[in-house]
Amino acid sequence: MEPIACTGALRVDKQVDSGHRATRRWNPVRDIMDDTQTATLSSTGILIAAIGRGSRAALKRLYELESSRLYGIALRIARRPDIAADVLQETFIQVWQNARSFSPERGSGAAWLTGIVRFRAIDAVRKLGREILSDDPRLGDEAIEPDVIERIDAKAEAEALRRCLEQLDDSQRRCVVLAFVDGFSHAEIAERLAEPLGTVKSRVRRGLLSLRSCLQS
Amino acid sequence: MIPTNSDDLHALAGEYILGVLDPRDAGEIEAALATNAELRRAMGFWEEKLHPLSALAPPAEPPRETWDRIVARLDGAARRPTPSLWSRPAPWRWATVGLAVAAAGLLVYIAATPPAPPRSFVAILHAAQQEQPSWLATAGPDGLLVRAVGAAAPPGGKAFELWAIAPGAAAPQSLGVIPGDGVFRLGHLPAAIRDGATLAISIEPPDGSPTKQPTGPVVFVGALRTM
Repeated sequence: MEPIACTGALRVDKQVDSGHRATRRWNPVRDIMDDTQTATLSSTGILIAAIGRGSRAALKRLYELESSRLYGIALRIARRPDIAADVLQETFIQVWQNARSFSPERGSGAAWLTGIVRFRAIDAVRKLGREILSDDPRLGDEAIEPDVIERIDAKAEAEALRRCLEQLDDSQRRCVVLAFVDGFSHAEIAERLAEPLGTVKSRVRRGLLSLRSCLQS
Repeated sequence: MIPTNSDDLHALAGEYILGVLDPRDAGEIEAALATNAELRRAMGFWEEKLHPLSALAPPAEPPRETWDRIVARLDGAARRPTPSLWSRPAPWRWATVGLAVAAAGLLVYIAATPPAPPRSFVAILHAAQQEQPSWLATAGPDGLLVRAVGAAAPPGGKAFELWAIAPGAAAPQSLGVIPGDGVFRLGHLPAAIRDGATLAISIEPPDGSPTKQPTGPVVFVGALRTM
């Protein structure tokens, strides 16, 4: 079925092409697409809003800005380029179909996209079965060490998470990272760390509760 | 059962966002989202707060043809069935799409209906990107009734086929082709019709899909809820 909001796409795209900038009222979506230099991650939410109104140009721009980040997340979880590419494709189809449900008050556009691609990737590996880890560092198979959080972005939003992750036990932190970054289930974490399933479940839970109380403070 | 205790609820929401839950528990959470604002807030909290961890996955260039494949899908060029269409689409993220609308519609519907018999379900099916309900489905001990709310007709020479996807099911189950008058009746209740199941309508040949799986695009979708 053709997207319902295609008239919106025509309008936005036409404005981009028409070139009468000085006489037009300010429009963040149009201006970001006119001037790609200003399009940073913070523009993600604006692009998603434009996609929700049916702009293909905004979808293409979002792909240019976000596809390598999202593909990296999918590849880390799926560990197979073909599956990761399918996951990325499906992610952008869903972005197109569901962009209208995105509301910036509920969170950032980047987190929204990450949520979709992780969900899709985890869904794919649970359905297809996971590849045996290859110890190939190019596929992200290197061991997860507790100091891995040093590699988290130094942005302010990440700083709080880093600080709170540092307060967890090494074992709790390892469980949380294996689950989020590698998309491992309880059982897969238990196998990977050679720990009983119940122990892993309780570490994940206690890790989350410590994180929550730290992140709220 | 979704806990009411704040710690338990937040731990469960965090486990869902981490992706460690088994499909049964995850399905239970998804079914509760529409009615549990506290749960939705907890999910939003974790998605936002854990997001920086995703930077630990190094970015990588996707295969060059990926964008073209996306465009082809959007243009409807790829009309062959894609199993992934039926994968669960990160349901918690759009459980609230049109929720207010659906809830309002539901209230009107319930107000206009005599007290429901036990084990009754209702679903409102929408087209992607549209908030107006397109189909209303009601199910109870007498069977299933699905009827068009707005003007909805399949493209020429095609028919609408109704599908049910039970929570956690790998594949949709055909319930049959919807007659041309837009009213579909079933005298019994298939096992797939239960709380949290999804109803979907795809465009198929006049006699229905030849493969027992959807072959055309899925044009309407809605979740079944216990009344």
